Amino acid sequence: MNRVLLARLIDLIVVLFGVSIIVFLMIRLIPGDAVAIMLGANTEITPERMAELNRRVGLDRPIVEQYLLWAGAALRGDFGTSLWTGRPVSTEIILHLWPTLELTFLALLIGAVLAVPVGCLMAQTRGGAADVAMRVTAIAGLTIPSFWLGIVLILLLSAWAPGFASLGYVPFSEDPVGNLQRMLLPAVALALPILANLSRLVRSAMLDALGQDYIRTARAKGLAERTVVYKHALRNALIPFLTSVGIMTGYLLGGAIVVEQVFAIPGLGRLILGAIAERNYPLIQATILVVTAGFVVVNFLVDFLYIVVDPRVRA
Amino acid sequence: MVRSALRSALGAGFLMAAMASASAQVLEIGADASPTGLDPHLITAFPSFMVVNGNIYEGLTAIDKDLKIVPALAESWTVSADGKTYTFKLRANVKFHDGSAMEAEDVVASIKRVQSKDIASPLASRLSAVESASAVDPQTVELKLKEPSAALLSSLATIAIVPSAMEANKDALQKAPVGTGPFKFQEWQPNGFILLTKNEAYWDKGLPKLSGLKFNIVPESATRQVGLSNGQYALLPNIDAATALQLKGKPNVKLAETMDLAYMLIGMNVSKPPFDNPKVREAVNYAINRQEIVDAALFGAGVPGGPLSPALKSWALDVKQFACYKPDPAKAQALLKEAGVATPVAVTLKVLPRQDVKDIAQVVQEQLNKAGFKVELVNQEQGQFIQDWRNSNFDMFASINAGQPDPDEYFYRTFRTGGSTNVFKYSDAELDGLLDQARTLQDQAARKAAYDKVQQKLACSGPVAHLTYGTLFSAMNSKLQGYDVMPNRSLMLLRNASY
Amino acid sequence: MSRLAKNKLLTFAIALVAIQLILAIGAPLFAPYDPMAQSVARRLRAPSALNWFGTDQLGRDVLTRILYGYRTSLIACLLAVGIALVAGGALGLVAAYYCGWLDRIIMRVMDVLFAFPVMLLAIGIIAVLGPHTYSAAAAIAVVYTPIFARLLRGPALVLCESEYVAGAKAIGASDARIIFLHILPNLASVILVQTSLLLSAAILVEASLSFLGLGTQPPTPSLGLMLSEGRNFLMLSPWSAVFAGFAILFLSFGFNLLGDALRDTLDPRLRGQP
Repeated sequence: MNRVLLARLIDLIVVLFGVSIIVFLMIRLIPGDAVAIMLGANTEITPERMAELNRRVGLDRPIVEQYLLWAGAALRGDFGTSLWTGRPVSTEIILHLWPTLELTFLALLIGAVLAVPVGCLMAQTRGGAADVAMRVTAIAGLTIPSFWLGIVLILLLSAWAPGFASLGYVPFSEDPVGNLQRMLLPAVALALPILANLSRLVRSAMLDALGQDYIRTARAKGLAERTVVYKHALRNALIPFLTSVGIMTGYLLGGAIVVEQVFAIPGLGRLILGAIAERNYPLIQATILVVTAGFVVVNFLVDFLYIVVDPRVRA
Repeated sequence: MVRSALRSALGAGFLMAAMASASAQVLEIGADASPTGLDPHLITAFPSFMVVNGNIYEGLTAIDKDLKIVPALAESWTVSADGKTYTFKLRANVKFHDGSAMEAEDVVASIKRVQSKDIASPLASRLSAVESASAVDPQTVELKLKEPSAALLSSLATIAIVPSAMEANKDALQKAPVGTGPFKFQEWQPNGFILLTKNEAYWDKGLPKLSGLKFNIVPESATRQVGLSNGQYALLPNIDAATALQLKGKPNVKLAETMDLAYMLIGMNVSKPPFDNPKVREAVNYAINRQEIVDAALFGAGVPGGPLSPALKSWALDVKQFACYKPDPAKAQALLKEAGVATPVAVTLKVLPRQDVKDIAQVVQEQLNKAGFKVELVNQEQGQFIQDWRNSNFDMFASINAGQPDPDEYFYRTFRTGGSTNVFKYSDAELDGLLDQARTLQDQAARKAAYDKVQQKLACSGPVAHLTYGTLFSAMNSKLQGYDVMPNRSLMLLRNASY
Repeated sequence: MSRLAKNKLLTFAIALVAIQLILAIGAPLFAPYDPMAQSVARRLRAPSALNWFGTDQLGRDVLTRILYGYRTSLIACLLAVGIALVAGGALGLVAAYYCGWLDRIIMRVMDVLFAFPVMLLAIGIIAVLGPHTYSAAAAIAVVYTPIFARLLRGPALVLCESEYVAGAKAIGASDARIIFLHILPNLASVILVQTSLLLSAAILVEASLSFLGLGTQPPTPSLGLMLSEGRNFLMLSPWSAVFAGFAILFLSFGFNLLGDALRDTLDPRLRGQP
């Protein structure tokens, strides 16, 4: 097990290194003079300003030195200061991280919790028209644009229950009730495709498990149908479930970017879209790096769990 | 169990929300975009302007809702006979939000800060006439001018007074502004909200009536509308006609409107073909149907506009006086033929990324294409657009500009040869003469006559086709009382409002 | 599920995709109006005999713009997924076929690209290239390349080691011949399924990017852009946004269902399962 883990850890480091190179090169690939473009949106361009910004972003040094300085600082959690507000980039990211994390977590929770009964139901109605209908519904759920669903939900709710739809964001620590009240709708909009995906997974895992010998044995031993299904089959479904949770996290981050825009949640999506509008390249760079690194680490942890849960991989 | 806990939590949420709105004194505002910074001398965009102007900061003078100049931090002023020396008597007992007294040296420092090359304030050109500023005594400031400047008092309304300690500091005010206004900066949660609280020590006793302003940043129009309808937001400032139309008649919502100083425009680059030819520019004006633009993009809420906003009643000429404002595609075609350019004239039109401008650009494209042009729309991000605009890298562009209360503030830097925002590279000796003369004239009638000529000259063959002036709407909760909207989009009169 | 039900589902999926493809290709024939033609007088109308899906904020026919919007979305997504398939597929096959260090390098690079969340990398690429339909397509292509590379490398690796390919090598077949004639055809079903599923996802990504103003730009008709423009007028006239939303849903749904049904039909491992 240790060797498998070590190999994965080395993979992780290699991937993180590669990610950092790509993100680093991004700013150098901007056509034209990156500094002039960055300044272009916000202030008068003077030679002094350009020189100062060049220094601040570090574009005036040899490229390898630039990378080492940048990556070294990034490892210490220092991404410089935001070009226009002067706030440290790391502070900006941390401020915007929590709403996105919470939204992602809630969506995952809603999707995962509902997926188990829905998936079981789908497995039990296998064959025939009901099965097809459920499958088609699941695919529809998977392909509904979440931003569109979000807008429709806001409008419908405002028409039917005007008092309900609270907008914006309050931190959970300040007002837990208000927080959940505001996060519920966007989380639901984001959770639908998760639910569709995970419930299909639960379904096939259940069907798989039901066909296994040991389930038949268990049944033969006279255990009640319900116990059989839940105990044995669900444990088996857990592994593919975990794997896709890792992959879903990536999807969720993407969905969150758009849903945050619709529901006025000050998360990473808003941060990065704002940064693009004002051409704050260091901020875009840092945000992409941090989120991607987080995503990679989550997937690593999922793999790790996978090894723990499934004894077969250990061998 | 989880579910019932959630349900009771939601129930409690309703209750709390209801209680909060009953006792609320902080005005919840739904703003569409996040400010990039709050330094009054560096900001250029509406989202920043809306927060700081007149709320956090004040100038020596101010503009009232009829665009007249009124005293603000200066109680009174005198002008020397040659028009080159202004002496301002400052209001006593004015304190900055940090508790220090606002005195003459702060005013001098603020003016120097705006003029400083190092700060590189975009407002610097408004003070180009000011040669020196000095403190005569703590309550008196003297400005010496290079030449008389008729627009000075109006320009000074846009120059916020900041503490003298900030003179060389580029960063601090962007994050945490310190002014003298009726509201002081409290908290900024980026992309979330900006909270201002009542300045208890405000010099105008009894004001402000609200205990604070909270600018909630809500980028989605539908979301803002829902927020206003359900009472979560009490004010949506400066909304467009389409949004206003959707909110009209909703329970507990009222609309206020005024004529906008800001205008939609098509800019043309006169430094290269085809727009170096005045006939081609005239053809553009004949090809454009301004009333149709008003109807299409502004839902009828606006007027076809000339070089000056009809809101400037004492300056603007009636657009009926401009021959080219009567749409005539055939005449446009004829002018193109006269100009000797090959038709269809293929040009690109760069578009500022705002929904209203994008809509207007599409209408203009269609109109021009019917009159011998072949227009390609180029949609850009904000940063790229502004850079191309600044570098005169365009054939045509479509944009919206904030208007100014005094004609000189707009015309001089935009159309004078070498003017700071003359990105069209327009140069006309006669116009330069008129502009140079008009800014030094003290006599209102003579100034008006000069600017009449300027408008006549610019309307049909100038580098800008002025399109429309919209009706500017603000939507608010019907409980919001005493709030007047301003044509220049400032929210400074919120100090008089109560909720 | 019975064979019959499976085939019915596949037929339905093929029909759904085919209809939308035909509508897109034949847009100039089917569309009742010019997609750019504005009419101020007939702005934001509800569906009627003249405009079946109503009109948008500039009085353009929504049905016409949806048909042309199908075109834009499909061109962008087919291009993106096509490039990803060719580039990723080639890299995956090459990696598998030559094994060793080349394999390791290629697959590490693919791992790196795969590590980025799709939308985030797409936004980063658009930040560099500027907003445009083709920037969005390029972004999607880059993001999907590693998926095809991984998809084809695994089975190709197995095939490479099989006696079947070893036999071909033994009789002196060239590398290219082996790849194209012996390995690729065996992977066709996997490719078909994955392409279809990724097209479905790409349509949603392109729509999201256009919705955020980072993809297709006006006046080009695009489904995501119609939704984006229409959302400002939802309370006046929701038609443009609603129909564009459904169009995105149907298009993405069609490809996803197709992929799903294809997998059931083609994947021998799943065949015969309940």
